[in-house]
Amino acid sequence: MTQHPTALGEALAPSTPEQAKEFQTRAFQALSERFGATMDPRDRWGFTAVVAADKLRAVLQFLRDDRDSLCDTLLDITAIDYLGYPGHDQARFAVVYNLRSQKLSGRRLRVKVWVEEESPSVPSVHDLWKIADWQERETWDQYGIVFDGHPNLKRLLNHVEFVGHPLRKDYPARKRQWLSTNDPMLDQLEARLKAKGFEILESPLFNSPSIEETQLLGKPAKIQINNVGRAS
Amino acid sequence: MKVITPSGEKIDLLTVNIGPSHPATHGALRAFVALDGETVAAAAQEIGYLHRGFEKMVEQGTYQQVLPYTDRLNYCSAILNNIGFCLAAEQMFEIEVPERCQTLRVLLSELSRLIDHLVCVAAAAVDLGALTNYWYLFNPREEVYGIWEKLSGARLTNTFSRIGGLYRDTYEGFETDVANVLVSIEAGLDDAFKLLEHNRIFIERTRGVCPMTPDAAVAWGWTGPCLRATGVDRDLRKDDPYLGYDTYDFQTVVGTTGDTYDRLLVRMYEMKESLSICRQALKRLRPGRVNTSDPRLILPGHDKAYHDMEALINHFKLVFEGVRPPAGEFYSGTEAANGELGFFVVSDGTGKPWKIKVRPPCFTQFAAYADLIEGGMVADSIACLSSINIIAGELDR
Repeated sequence: MTQHPTALGEALAPSTPEQAKEFQTRAFQALSERFGATMDPRDRWGFTAVVAADKLRAVLQFLRDDRDSLCDTLLDITAIDYLGYPGHDQARFAVVYNLRSQKLSGRRLRVKVWVEEESPSVPSVHDLWKIADWQERETWDQYGIVFDGHPNLKRLLNHVEFVGHPLRKDYPARKRQWLSTNDPMLDQLEARLKAKGFEILESPLFNSPSIEETQLLGKPAKIQINNVGRAS
Repeated sequence: MKVITPSGEKIDLLTVNIGPSHPATHGALRAFVALDGETVAAAAQEIGYLHRGFEKMVEQGTYQQVLPYTDRLNYCSAILNNIGFCLAAEQMFEIEVPERCQTLRVLLSELSRLIDHLVCVAAAAVDLGALTNYWYLFNPREEVYGIWEKLSGARLTNTFSRIGGLYRDTYEGFETDVANVLVSIEAGLDDAFKLLEHNRIFIERTRGVCPMTPDAAVAWGWTGPCLRATGVDRDLRKDDPYLGYDTYDFQTVVGTTGDTYDRLLVRMYEMKESLSICRQALKRLRPGRVNTSDPRLILPGHDKAYHDMEALINHFKLVFEGVRPPAGEFYSGTEAANGELGFFVVSDGTGKPWKIKVRPPCFTQFAAYADLIEGGMVADSIACLSSINIIAGELDR
């Protein structure tokens, strides 16, 4: 990313659907020649490249930096759970990377990786895009897919005490969990301080109630309404 | 927290929670900061306080039942979300809605964008202590809500769009109401411009505060007004035109330094463009159908459903089983008020979505929040937060 994107404002032209299709054909050729990518038949409207997990980082980096695609924006990372999907014969999970170019019009595609249920993991791309950090955390939180090499793979949307991965098809939609304490977040703050060159001598013990403290409150066994003393 | 700074000085940092429940966080957001005096030495942010399980809940019902959930994403401009989702579903069916519906959708989208930007700018000004703008900007916003109320019966969560058209046609006198409200918004906006644009206090509180470079903004996945504030001339209405936006005469607004001032001013100037699009759409509005006639999507009228067996079956199946897009995976993004609002839909060919993933625009902006505020003052972090316009409804889903 050497060129300043403002300079590309002049080259800005609305893309036609034909141009977008053309790009997708070219991109598929390049990806299949270089990385052995295949086309996903499930995407009947656009273009999704299916790649092997060990080539994922190379593919994404190629799409980001290649002069023809310049898919510099990682719009989204998500996963799909195909458990029970009619006629499905592949791995249970797929992780989907949704890319778009801000420098060239009409450059959009998705990259898909199949992930087996036994060891659901894919390499992390947090160093290629800053936003991947949170997107991978969300995908881990919701689907339980591990992103190898992620520096801080913790839950993002769900509570710190939450158990399970709610967007998996075998997680009941109406299940409830008791969640009590909040996330102290000291680890994240200290990591950021250290990255800036601070040396930490002494951390505060708690900035929020500890798990032990909240357990003292306990789960209410039953709610008793006190009638004693009510005026009759 | 006792630390040694990079320059070797031994100091005591104060750790403070900004939020989650604080008026300035505009929803429930938490930033945990380490303060050196009034300077933010480091920050970490946490989200999820408004997580309702949108993506799990939409898998339980039909495609039509997704619509009320989309209202609650960015609740400041619910109609934009409705239309974004309807467009995604319609593209899966490969149908186009009638001309009147397209024009109305553009008009309603731009009105929604206007009220969204009004909230953002007014709230940002209030956070800086400039309360007067709030009255100037919220009064016309209230008038738009009056139109929403007449149009859909609801003020905030309109659910006005439908897959294949709109809930219903407009009411009598709609055009006059819109024309009047555009005049009020323009007057309010002009007042706000006079109060803010060259206001020395406003400029000193916002200019150079929490800036963002174009490259970093792209790496953070920013879209919409915040990306344009850094100078990247990108707007889906221009780049990937939908709803016939390419036939409207408007300009994208870009900033130069991507600081808080630019982010707010980009929104204010965008409102002028939206006003112009609204006026053009009003001129184009011709009588006609607002719904497609595709029986896969639209309920048969009472006259048919009551007298024709096939129409009754169609009605029953559409309501109980939902519309059935072809099996497959589809992504569609539209330019919402905050940036690219995307819906990634996985269909298994039945009337219930297998999966819908929302790509919320402000997620990427809040992910960068710690980077933005580190090194600045605590008060700047508040000014910055309101300028990136975080709507917890779509952030946490």
